[in-house]
Amino acid sequence: MPASSGDPAPKEPVSEEIAAYLDMPRERRTLAKAHAAMLSQTAGRIALELPMSADVDDFRRVLTTQARS
Amino acid sequence: MMDLAALSARALAKAIRGRKISSLEATKAAISRLVSCHELTRCIVALEADDSLDAARVADIAVAKGTAGGPLAGVPLAHKDMFDRKGKIASWGANIRADKPADLDATAIAAFKSAGALQIATLHLTEFAYGPTGHNYVLGHARNPWDPARITGGSSAGTAAAVAYGAIPAGLGSDTGGSLRLPAACCGVTSIKPTWGRVSRAGAMPLAPALDTIGVVARHIEDLALVLGLLAGPDPRDPAASVLPVPDYVARLDDPVQGLRVGLDEEVVSEAHPDVQRVVEAVLAILVKLGLQRAPCTFPDWQTLDHLVQLVQLPDAAAAHAAFLRTRPDDYGPQVRARVEVGHFIPAVDHVTALRARGTYVQRTLDRTFEDVDIAILPVLADPLPTIAELDVGGGSKVQAAMARVVKFTRPINYLGLPTLTLPVPRAGGLPNGIQLVGRPFAEAQLLAIGQAYQREVPPELARPLDGVERTSREAAAK
Repeated sequence: MPASSGDPAPKEPVSEEIAAYLDMPRERRTLAKAHAAMLSQTAGRIALELPMSADVDDFRRVLTTQARS
Repeated sequence: MMDLAALSARALAKAIRGRKISSLEATKAAISRLVSCHELTRCIVALEADDSLDAARVADIAVAKGTAGGPLAGVPLAHKDMFDRKGKIASWGANIRADKPADLDATAIAAFKSAGALQIATLHLTEFAYGPTGHNYVLGHARNPWDPARITGGSSAGTAAAVAYGAIPAGLGSDTGGSLRLPAACCGVTSIKPTWGRVSRAGAMPLAPALDTIGVVARHIEDLALVLGLLAGPDPRDPAASVLPVPDYVARLDDPVQGLRVGLDEEVVSEAHPDVQRVVEAVLAILVKLGLQRAPCTFPDWQTLDHLVQLVQLPDAAAAHAAFLRTRPDDYGPQVRARVEVGHFIPAVDHVTALRARGTYVQRTLDRTFEDVDIAILPVLADPLPTIAELDVGGGSKVQAAMARVVKFTRPINYLGLPTLTLPVPRAGGLPNGIQLVGRPFAEAQLLAIGQAYQREVPPELARPLDGVERTSREAAAK
């Protein structure tokens, strides 16, 4: 059956590849994924240790409160 | 006859004020030395001879009238080419640049102008300041003034080479993962990487803003103190710039250092080359001779810190470059392109986790590492000064590992945001190297006082090609 004029336009297939918008050769893409995966293991471990209240602004607060002139 | 190349900026300013030399004479001589240095090291991006000579003439008139008030009046300097200057376009060491000249001076540049300093050139940096070795696949690689076959360190490569050669006494740099410390160590000079937030970044090229720190390279500690005093302080253009009071760093240079405790984490330092471990010990011996006390200390999990800083830096840099990388990827050099791409593969949750953990890790470091010590000593380079060829890895499969080894002892400190002072080690006729002293937050005055005492034992040197290396290095560089 032909599409009616009210149907949405056909969509481009969505790539499941991470950062598909980057023009990267396969080897470099593989290396980048591996490096990110290695770092992700550390992030996962740290996430388990951090209290939910941890905040990105803690960094500046600690530097300021611990200042030694 | 004054040896202008060997003078500190502070001493040169005094000589100009006292009319022992004119700013014009000093500027002509500095331009001549900088050109010689460039032939050896490729340190210049753009020479601004005519403008700076005109400015020197104006400075001399002000001196004659008694109206030259700034502490660096008439002193010729040059800076890493990554700072906005009104009406000019900084190259950022790259082919890709916005073509619109800056509307305002960077806050750091404005501070130098207020102090009366002149700018004779813009200086080499790694492309987008994203590289620790001085390799630049767009501008050409910077070469070390002690041995032009070897790296300058990066990214503030030109500043360190020009300072070491004696072309200029001091200049601006920046440090996101080691970019002030590595070139200072490789070229045998000093640098101060202040506490994150001590110096405004307004108008400086952003690389990874959560880590970016503006600082100074100089031969003399007194110049680090003088310039840091000009740069530090709050700035409405940079909300991260700290409002904490700025000490008089020059007045504090002679603070007593006897009894201060310097910590050594033997496990972390054991990962350096044995020759580097020996120079750390040599510097420690000098510090002990000066009256400091040696003590053990322990950084909490150096490897974790190294991963956390990458989780911050890689996406931060990728975000800063998101538009250029998508629209003009082929205008990047191979190494920076490969490094920027990686940031796109870091999950947002991991990036934010690393940012949320930062306060915890700084507090933990202060509680544990600095519990019984005032400062910690670390190498800067993990290995003796490498050659340009050894680290010419482009953007290939070796880039992450090669760069990781170079920044092994510098990058984690950026995550902690702590101040560090780089000191050259005694060369004993060999190639330069350096160590870093890490202080508590905003303890720059203490670090500089230690550096001042150290320079009485290990005076600044002017870099010249070592015997036997000049001819072969020039031949290699010409290829």
